[in-house]
Parts: sequence; C-alpha cells; structure tokens
Amino acid sequence: MIPVRININTEWREILVEPGERLIDTLRDRFLLTGTKEGCGEGQCGTCTINFNGKAVLSCLMLTVQADNGHILTIEGLQDGLDLHPLQTAFLTESAVQCGYCTPGMIMAGHALIKDHPEPDDSLVKHCLANNLCRCTGYEKPIQAILKAATEMKEKSHD
Amino acid sequence: MTEPLTHIGKSFQRIDGVDKVTGRARFAPDLRFDHMLHAGLIRSPHAHARVLRIDTASALQLPGVKAVSTIFEVPKVIQYWFFLRTEKKKKEIFLYDDIVRFIGDPVLAIAAVDEKTLEHALSLVRVDYEPLAAIHDPEKALTETGVCLHKKGNIAFRVEKAFGNVEQGFKAADIIVENTYHTSKQKHASLEPIATCIANFESSGKLTVHSSTQLPHWSQHYLAEIMGLPLNRVRVIKPFTGGAFGGRCGLIHGLEAMCSVLSKKTLRPVRMSFSREEDFCATESRHPMIIRMKTGVSRDGVLVANEAEILSDTGAYGTHYIGVLADCLSTGVGLYAIPNYKFSGTAVYTNTSMAGALRGYGNPQMNFAQESQMDILADKLGMDPLALRVKNYRKAGEMDPVLNERILSNGLEECLEKGAAASGWEEKRSRKLQPEFISDGSIKKSPIKKGIGLSIMLHGTGAARALPDPGSAFLMINSDGTVNLHTAAADEGQGSRTVLAQVAAEILGVEFESISVSETDTDITPLDCGTHGSRQAYCGGLTVRDAALDAKKKMLTHAGNVLKVKPDALKIEKGLIFETAHPANAISIKDLMQRLQIQDMGLCTQIMGSASGIAPAMPGYYGAVFAEVEVNTETGEIKVVKLTSAFDVGKAINPEMVKGQIVGGGVMGIGFALTEGLIRKDGHILNPGFTDYRLLRSCDAPPVEAIIVESNEPTGPFGAKGIGEGCMVNVASAIANAVFHATGVRLTNLCMTPEAVLKGLKP
Repeated sequence: MIPVRININTEWREILVEPGERLIDTLRDRFLLTGTKEGCGEGQCGTCTINFNGKAVLSCLMLTVQADNGHILTIEGLQDGLDLHPLQTAFLTESAVQCGYCTPGMIMAGHALIKDHPEPDDSLVKHCLANNLCRCTGYEKPIQAILKAATEMKEKSHD
Repeated sequence: MTEPLTHIGKSFQRIDGVDKVTGRARFAPDLRFDHMLHAGLIRSPHAHARVLRIDTASALQLPGVKAVSTIFEVPKVIQYWFFLRTEKKKKEIFLYDDIVRFIGDPVLAIAAVDEKTLEHALSLVRVDYEPLAAIHDPEKALTETGVCLHKKGNIAFRVEKAFGNVEQGFKAADIIVENTYHTSKQKHASLEPIATCIANFESSGKLTVHSSTQLPHWSQHYLAEIMGLPLNRVRVIKPFTGGAFGGRCGLIHGLEAMCSVLSKKTLRPVRMSFSREEDFCATESRHPMIIRMKTGVSRDGVLVANEAEILSDTGAYGTHYIGVLADCLSTGVGLYAIPNYKFSGTAVYTNTSMAGALRGYGNPQMNFAQESQMDILADKLGMDPLALRVKNYRKAGEMDPVLNERILSNGLEECLEKGAAASGWEEKRSRKLQPEFISDGSIKKSPIKKGIGLSIMLHGTGAARALPDPGSAFLMINSDGTVNLHTAAADEGQGSRTVLAQVAAEILGVEFESISVSETDTDITPLDCGTHGSRQAYCGGLTVRDAALDAKKKMLTHAGNVLKVKPDALKIEKGLIFETAHPANAISIKDLMQRLQIQDMGLCTQIMGSASGIAPAMPGYYGAVFAEVEVNTETGEIKVVKLTSAFDVGKAINPEMVKGQIVGGGVMGIGFALTEGLIRKDGHILNPGFTDYRLLRSCDAPPVEAIIVESNEPTGPFGAKGIGEGCMVNVASAIANAVFHATGVRLTNLCMTPEAVLKGLKP
C-alpha cells in the first residue's frame, strides 16, 4: 500500500492505496463521490471527467498514486452551499440535461475549458466536448450551456 | 379548451434537474448497501454449445466466496409481457435449459465479498462444453436443417397479412420498383451501461431489486414468477436511469434473476454491474433486417401496390421479435393509403446476442426501405418527392387498416410545408448546387457534391389493444395545499416526471412547484406498463389527468359545502377556489385542506385522486425530416450538414423537452445511417467499445432544426401524443435520399459507408 495525499474539493485527504487503484474508484468507492460516473472504463466516453490541478482529466485512466499532492475538483465540489455554479445553472436553463449521466463529466470539461479560455467560441466548446459522449441531447444544448456560463462568469468577474 | 392554459405548452425546467447537475442523482451503479456482495458472470466462449458440467468446487473454497447460481436453476427470459395474459402463455416466457446460444451467454454467477475475490473465484471455475454447430447468417437459419437453435426450430415467428389484391394492384401499375435493403445491428449505447442491479432478499421473504428498468411492474411480475413469490413480496425500485432507448425493456439477460437467486442463497444484497464490453456483446440490440420491397405506382403518382418481405434476425433468443415485426406492419401499411399491400415477416434465431427493443422498434428499418422506394419512384416519375408524399399519405379521417381505427389527427402536411420552408427545400432541390473552386487560376469542379433529401414517418403512441398497456396514478393533497403525485411512469431522462407534474398542476389549478412526483417503486406506485412506445406524455398524461380530475371533483365538493354553492359554480386558479360569478366568495386550497384534514375533527379527511386504465386509442404521430449532405466523391465520405425535423406531436406539453427529443433523436438517427452497427465475425463482436463502435461526437453532430407541429389529437391529454421514438425513425432514409440527390448513388445498406459510396460512383 502506498500513502497518498490528495486535496479533494478543497479538503486534504490522506489514504493508503494499492498501486493499481484507479482514481475513479478512489473517488466513488472510498469517498462516495458518485457524481463522477463510469461509462466505459477505457477513456472513450468522458463521463468520468474531473478537474485535476485545473485541467480536465479522465479519472478512469488515472491512477490514484498519480494524483499525490494534487488538487481534485469533482461535480460535488462545484456549488457554493445551496448556490449552484453558473455552469450548473446554465445546464438547467438551457435544457442541456436529459438523462443526466454524462452531465457531471460535461460540466467538469466545461469548467476546465472556461478556466483556460474565459471567452470560448462555439467551435472551441465543440472541440472541447468531443471527449464527452452524450446519447440524449445531440450536443447542441450542452454547447450552448457552456457558452452561456462562460459569458455569465465573465460578467460576474467584472462586477 | 376555451380557458387559457397555465401549465401546458410551457417549458418548465425538469424537476430532477438540480439532482443531476450537482451529482446528487444516484443511478444504479452509484448505490451501495451494507454487507453487499459483488457478483459476476461466467459467459460462454462458444457461439452454440451444451453445458455438460460446471465445477465450482475450488471457487467455493476460496475465502469470501458466498454463493453460485447457474443456468440450470435460473431461467432465461425469452418473451415479453404480451405473454403474461394466460398461465399457459406465461410459461413460455421462461426457458430453463443447459444450452448456451451466443458468445457471452451467461452460464453461472458467483457472489463474493469484494470484486477482487470475485475475479479470483471466476478464474477458478471450470465449465465443460459440448460445442454445437452454429448459425450466424439469418438466411441460413431459414434453410439449414441440421442446426436447431430452439426446440421449435430456427423460425421464431412468421406473420403474413394482405390488404386488397396485390397481384392486380401491380398489373395496374405503370412503374414498379423492387429492391432489397439491409440494416445494421445498432446498439442503444446509453451512457449508463446496460446494466447494474442490486437484489436484496431478506429473511422475511421479501425481495427488493434496484434496477434501471423501463418496465418496473413487468420486471416485478417476471421476478415473482422466477422466485415463486407473491407480487407483494417483490419490490422493484428504479433509480435514476442513464438513458434507456428500449435497452431496458424487461429483465436484462443474466442480471436481475441471477442476482435475486444469489441474494436468496446468501440473505445479503447482491450487486452485479456489466462492463461496457458486456453491454455491447451480451445485451439486446436493434434487429438487423433484410427487407425486399416492391412498390407500384400509376403514371400520375398514385401508389397502387406494395409488397414487403422481411427477414428479421432476433439473435439467440427472442424478447420483442413479435412486437417489432408488428410495428413494421402497422407503420409500413399505415403511412400511405395503398389499396393493395402484401406484408410478410419472418423472425429467425441465429447464434448472436439477442435483438430487442430499440427506439423506433422496427420502424427505422421498415422506413428506410419504404422511404427509399418512394424517392426512387419520385425520380422515375419526374415528380417532386414532397408532392408524391402529399398525394399518397393517409390523411386524418381515413381508416388505419391495421389498427382498424380512424385517424383523428395528422399534421404531416404541415410538417412537410414547414420543414420545406425552413430547409430551403425547393431552392436546394432545383438549383445546381455543386460547388466549384479555383486552383491554378482556373475553375475546377470540387469533389464535394451537395444534396438534400426528405422522408416522412408514422409511429404509434402507446400500445392500446396491441399489448396489455395499463397506466395508473394517484395523487394526494397535503394540508398545506401541496400535492404528491405517485406514478410508475418511468423517467429514463426524457422528462416524463416533469411533463406529468405539468398535467397535474394544470388540472388542479396549483403552481408547478406545488407538485412532487414520486420515485418509481412498485411498493408505492400503482401498476403502469412502463416506458415504451413513446407512451408517457399520452398514456401517462391521460392517467394523471384523470387522477387529478378525480381529486379536483372531491375538492370542489368540499369547497362547495364551505362556500355554500354548487361545486360546478366553482373554479380553481393559482391555488384559490372561488365562485366563478362572485370571485370574492373564495377559499384557498391550503385553508380548505387545513379544515378537512386537521381543524374539523369530525372530518379528518385527506383528498386523494386516482385513475387506472388503458388509453382510448393508439394515435399515430407523424414527422418529416429534411437532410442536407455533402458527399466527397474522392473519399466517399458522407457529411450531414443539417437536419430539419418537423414533427406533429399533437400538442407539446413542454416544447423544450419535445425539441430535446427531436434534436437528440436526429443525431441518433444519423448514427444509425452512417456509423453505428455491431460488426460480427463467426459469432464474435469485433467492435465492443466506443473506439470502434462510433457514436457521433460533439464535433460530428450537425445542427438539427426542430419544428413542432400541433394537430391536437382529440383523445390525448390537452391534445398531446408521442414523440420519443419517431424523431429518429426517418433520418436514415432522408440521408440516403439526399446522397442520391447529391451523387446519383442509391445506397440500400445500413450503415452507409464511404466504401459503398465509392463503389456506387464507379462507372
């Protein structure tokens, strides 16, 4: 077993893990953060997307030991008390959610994108979401939601 | 409806949306229980074999291994709920035997304390098989006499129907076209893999199963039969579901039944969760079909005869093969008023994973053939394909000969008009669109050819009279005027819980936020057929409407007593009950409920409303899809540039959700047309993952312009009928017709590959 120290949703956690333990299993099974979903387990569907040190990563392809001393943000860490994050609000108001299984991964992909590109355009969002499969929406609405959230976050930062 | 509607036709946000965007929504794979065991399957490596011996001795000796169940004791479910009608038929649903019929067919399941122990245990099991000759080709299933997949043979089902006199019809035809179409083995590919379940059999003799089923009550019925339990001892709870599309239309092969038996043996919760590979290889798919179609038309464009002969590959077992062929029949014969129609369908068994229900249920295959035929005929007649449709479609007021019902609403012509206008049909059809480009200073022809094509479709709403198709709901009004609605109308993500809350709010005259909708749980929600056949807005809507009317009637009776007027002199708006003629004579629902339930100790009565029954009809809903494509004549690549999809949904209760279906269904339809299909070789599935089974991604999906047409179905709740399946049905045919317009190449096989385009372009 290997000791690992990870900051998950702003809290430092210390755990002992097997060398082969996947980050997605650590999040879901140890910390019951089941908002991060598994859709394929081979990095093809994007439902397990989280933010690691500010970047969108696939938690099914990452080992927990690789996350040592890193900062992880999952869908559960996004809202501020009862207040939803602008991305979460935009996914609701833009009707970007149907079954909801791909939603956490999409939102986390959008979160990392907006951090690096506060004013993304349609084609950048489309490109960014290409890692996230969705079977319900046809992608149009999630793309709109991320664009809308980016605009709102930009406006908020100027307030 | 003369009163303005307060809740119908408004795009309320989905009531479970916050749970989904915060990650709090718990899907079956997210559930954890104390003392839970983990189960997994040993699956057959043979396409067809007899299981001679199962040796689990060393696996069972491993510490932490708790129980084994095998196909000798757990049946396969091989029919659908149509067979629940009689005790004799019911027996045909279940198959106990020692034969495995496809690579991946479950042989046994093991339950262990953790996944690591489980994996080790599975590796210690020895199964001896006697391999049998296999059939992989559906056409061989018809002729091969030496290999028999099931006791009754390789033919699962045969149906023949004739309307008019098809021979005479063809004699009267001026143009006859005949072609054979092939369609692929498409997968649902819901993002939550199919499937996960947790079964918990308790010492009290009660079984609780958490499973993402579309049909909670029928799953409950099947499990009660398998486990020998009364229905009140079987509880099926459907958690949040990550998409279904027909893939969860019943028990999952090898899942819930195996887990329930393991749980009974161990008296602990048992969880089994299939991987994406298991989903692709060993759960149901669309029925691949070979459809020969012959169509005759008169010189002036009147369809006179049609003959359809379908060979449907149901794979190793059946579940939905009867219903799927019946849908080919009803949608094929129903769409056009063709006086002479001969239909024959045969479903055969082959040694591959079983086919089942998938969005469209036979219709996308049938529509691909029928609507390709129409395009070919229009070309031969020199007629606008749109005009040919308008001339021949079966209009409102006409009889549907298969359902033997009069069509009460059909907005197809408006769909065609609006779709044509929005897509620029006339201009794009007539104009020479082929782009040119400049290279080396001279104008050259681009290898890109542009085209536009259209197709139409009919799909039934619900399954009244075709299947046992009950719907039930009840609601109770709380002492503060809020409402709890109980319905098992399984929401798989399409939004039925939201839509049904809108219906209840509209009838009761309360705010949308006042309505809470129950979880889907057979212990607390009354009998419902579940989610299939695009039925929940219509069948669920009717049931909730009637339950709300029942509660409203009771409420007004009590309010009349308080306000000293007759109940029919009263109205409810925004939670206030008042006398229509003297609005000042009023009482809020809240105050009335306080009185009834708490303050008046002589009453202490809660108002409840309930309804249960079958829908009065199975109304057709209609749609027109216009597809614009660019075909690269050098590479053969087909690129869909835009879809314009106009659908007649009767009345859109929640327009944004209707559009969500149309856009999502459009993109799924493009996948069916161009990229999706399981590739098989000798019983092996060669593309069991998203790397090689290609869904459209955000960068591939073109814009889909969704147009809602409202024909107001008289039998529907506020005029509504279905949408969920139909919006993907005629996408592939529209694309095939657009490819023909662009290149002159007629593609008759799905998916339509670049290779097929290039082959067609060869002189």
